[in-house]
Amino acid sequence: MSMLKWAFLEELGEISEYDQADLDALRKRILWVSLVGLFFVGMIFFRLWFLQIHKGEVYREKAENNRVRVRELAPPRGDILDRNGKELVTNKPSFNVVLVREDSNDIDGLLKKLSVVLNEDVSVLWERIREAESKQRHIPIRLQENLSWDTLAYLETHNKDFPGIRIEVFPTRYYHYGDMAAHVIGYLGEIAKSELEADDADFYRGGDLVGKMGLEKLWEKKLRGEKGRDSSEVNARGFEQQLLSHMEPVPGDEVRLTLDMELQQAAEEAMDVGEKSGAVVVMEVKTGRILVLASTPRLHLADFEGGISQANWKALQDNPKHPLINKAFQAMYPPGSTYKMVTALAGLATGVITKDTTFHCGGSIHFGNRDYHCWRKGGHGTVDLMRAISESCDVYFYQVGMKVGVDNLAKYANKLGLGLKTNALVEYEKAGIIPTREWKKKKYGVKWQDGETLSIAIGQGFNLVTPLQLCHMTAIIASGGKKYLPQLIEKVTNSEGQVTASFAPELLGELQDEEKKYLAMIREGMVEVVQGARGTARAARVPGITIAGKTGTAQVVRLEQYKHLKEENIPYKYRDHALFISFAPAEDPEIAIAVVVEHGLHGGSGAAPVAKVVMQKYFANRLAVDAIRKSVEQ
Amino acid sequence: MFSIDRRFLVNFDWVLLILLVMVCGMALVNLYSATFSLHIGIPLYIKQCYLLLMGGMGIVFVVSFDYKELQLWNYLIYMATIALLALVIFVGDSAKGAQRWINLGFFQLQPSELAKLMIIISLASYYARKEVVDGYRIKDLIVPIILMAIPFTLILIQPDLGTALMLVIIFISMTVFARLHWSSYLVLGVSGMIMVALGWMFVLKPYQKQRVETLLNPAQDASGSGYQILQSKIAVGSGGWFGRGYMEGTQGHLHFLPERHTDFAFAVWSEEWGFSGCLFFLAVYFFMLAWGLHVAMSARDRFGLFLAFGVVALIFWQAVINLLMILGFLPVVGVPLPLFSYGGSSLLTTLLGIGIMMNVRMRRFQSESTLKDSDG
Repeated sequence: MSMLKWAFLEELGEISEYDQADLDALRKRILWVSLVGLFFVGMIFFRLWFLQIHKGEVYREKAENNRVRVRELAPPRGDILDRNGKELVTNKPSFNVVLVREDSNDIDGLLKKLSVVLNEDVSVLWERIREAESKQRHIPIRLQENLSWDTLAYLETHNKDFPGIRIEVFPTRYYHYGDMAAHVIGYLGEIAKSELEADDADFYRGGDLVGKMGLEKLWEKKLRGEKGRDSSEVNARGFEQQLLSHMEPVPGDEVRLTLDMELQQAAEEAMDVGEKSGAVVVMEVKTGRILVLASTPRLHLADFEGGISQANWKALQDNPKHPLINKAFQAMYPPGSTYKMVTALAGLATGVITKDTTFHCGGSIHFGNRDYHCWRKGGHGTVDLMRAISESCDVYFYQVGMKVGVDNLAKYANKLGLGLKTNALVEYEKAGIIPTREWKKKKYGVKWQDGETLSIAIGQGFNLVTPLQLCHMTAIIASGGKKYLPQLIEKVTNSEGQVTASFAPELLGELQDEEKKYLAMIREGMVEVVQGARGTARAARVPGITIAGKTGTAQVVRLEQYKHLKEENIPYKYRDHALFISFAPAEDPEIAIAVVVEHGLHGGSGAAPVAKVVMQKYFANRLAVDAIRKSVEQ
Repeated sequence: MFSIDRRFLVNFDWVLLILLVMVCGMALVNLYSATFSLHIGIPLYIKQCYLLLMGGMGIVFVVSFDYKELQLWNYLIYMATIALLALVIFVGDSAKGAQRWINLGFFQLQPSELAKLMIIISLASYYARKEVVDGYRIKDLIVPIILMAIPFTLILIQPDLGTALMLVIIFISMTVFARLHWSSYLVLGVSGMIMVALGWMFVLKPYQKQRVETLLNPAQDASGSGYQILQSKIAVGSGGWFGRGYMEGTQGHLHFLPERHTDFAFAVWSEEWGFSGCLFFLAVYFFMLAWGLHVAMSARDRFGLFLAFGVVALIFWQAVINLLMILGFLPVVGVPLPLFSYGGSSLLTTLLGIGIMMNVRMRRFQSESTLKDSDG
């Protein structure tokens, strides 16, 4: 300003005409006016500084977000294999019709044409679009999944007639064994809002498929892989100008199970005979690895693809056979006579009985003020341990139980893995119930009645176990007291072939030497159950293999009104559960089996035949070789 | 008419010319980048060159006669402009819902731009003739108000709110500068407020109201009018210290920025040249305007002083409104940054205005007698 003032003073002298005073006044006003101007200029400079320097980083980022569009590329989910490398679950491409609204100027007409091709009502297609209304117009909206080859071919050849319609290839699950092991595998579903808000919010987007049950859920983080991303530059109208960067998706890790799918299939098919509802668990005695983990009725995995319908879900929930539950470890049953192994071990270990101790069974025993019956009304007469096990004499075990006491029974039940979670990497595993005096006091606030011990001794009363626990117990008995961690996964391998997790057999503990001797006696009894002339599980015999086992019949309810009825006439839901535990070969046990058939009436007739099928399958090769050898020798 | 003697060349305002060339040069450079991805017939920067050439000839024409002539021809200029404004309503080309242009074949003439210069000449002429001792009273202002109101109404009918308001702003600037009696402030202030209220209720179109409301509450409408302001702020802000580099601005080149070669041209400049580039440009630009004030102060008479002041006010207010709009302080009103935004009529008008300033500067020492000499 001073410069300007100086300049004008210099020139002042040269103006000679006109009203000098008036002009001077106006010139002074210009100086004042320039102050007003300076105010605005200052404001502009300050604002520029604020936007460009102070907030520069923020706006730079906003500019980048404007221009860069990131498209996520779905990674193929990891495969699931069985122990022999047989593919259980892999991916198959699903061809979906998608609409990009931005590229179509007549969506209404387009959908009308499309509805004929897709054989789908126009309103259904509109509904799909309406659901995605809030998304940006360049984002594809799925109109129909899993196109047939004919539809796909038609749309590909006539693509000019369908502007805005594209075919999207999306990896979906393919189940090589149909619904076999469905409960173990589990299913995928659209991610829930709560899951989106959880820790992995960065990874997932709305609409992503995540494991909802079974291994798909438990191993989600390994199976899902890493998303790929295409970053492209787009202009204001959303048209892609150029690809800035491309990152291939990383396929999910391959999970190799300990399951043997051939055995699993055999077990499930055996359960299918007569539409049995229940569970089969088979375990390797010397490793703890699970070979079969079956639960019936099976889930129909295809129903869950792309979200299960309300009607289907309700039907599953209302089904009296509870198909949604994995009965192998999420359902609990009274162990029935299979629990007599525990009672026998407790009796022997506490010195209450020896192998040769005998009791008289007259069909019932009087205790307190009531009678406790044996399943054989006529009684077994004089019974030693061997006969007690093979013929499953209740009175014998009443006596043992009474002498041992409930807390000792619980102690040995725990030693055999009952009443505790197996921690076999399965979800929602039930721990079961093995009652003690303290437990009852805590739970019901009532003192333990000695009469209850009698029920416990034969596996009734409060006792509840899972089929997985029963199998685990059988494996411990069969292995001579070695307690291995039950395992379902052998190893996990990433897409580059590196093993990212592997599970070697893990010995959790061993019974004492003394106890091991008693287990041998019990095993002897269990052999008699199958191989003995009067054994209760003769139905499980497989010629050429010595099989040991124990039947169990678990009372569901004790109702007088059904007592007089023939078993076949009792309503299904009040029939007893059939249980059977087994191991083989008895000489050097390899596998342990637990079968539970809900409302299957008798262990020997309801459950043992299933175990037999599994044994036959497992030993098939060996038996065939033996047969050949025999024929050669002859 | 073109008899310019050596003395004029010596007195010619070379400083203003250099500043003008610098500003126009930067505008051209920026226009090239802003319109790079536009694919239309003749590139706009070529058109801009023609326009600058035309404007240059206009300046030569304007400085060739003594500005005193403008005072003599004032009535004719006024009537002619009013006639053009009336004509545009009947035969004008319309675009974006407004009739603003007269198609001259090679050039789309926007008479409302000429009206800005015309009102400066008319008001300067009036205030130069009408001298008062203690400020203009309201009775003295009746004539200038009518002078302003006629073109204002005609332009409002087109409708071109931005330009119409510019007339009012020029009127206020020059009138207040000419010094008012305190009573006039009172009367003008009250009636002005009533006019604004009536205007808001009856004259403003819904979209114009929305623009104002958007400014007051930008979050309310992020994709509509708010979108333009937001994108402009992003463009300016992302420039940082040194900009994203010439031709590298993504906001402009990827079309996020609206009107990027016209009203929002400076946003492109900000994005590509950053704070440093903006400082340089604005320093040159405002120094040019400060020089304009210097020209006004050095004028030999009241008319010259008012003329130069009016032109400075015209450029300054348009620049301030445009910049504050780009920087998110004002609603989107459609006021260009003179010399920098692409637009033929605005460029020619501004160049003619600067020509008038040069004329005033050149003849700052001249007496009436020499005027007659040079005329002869």
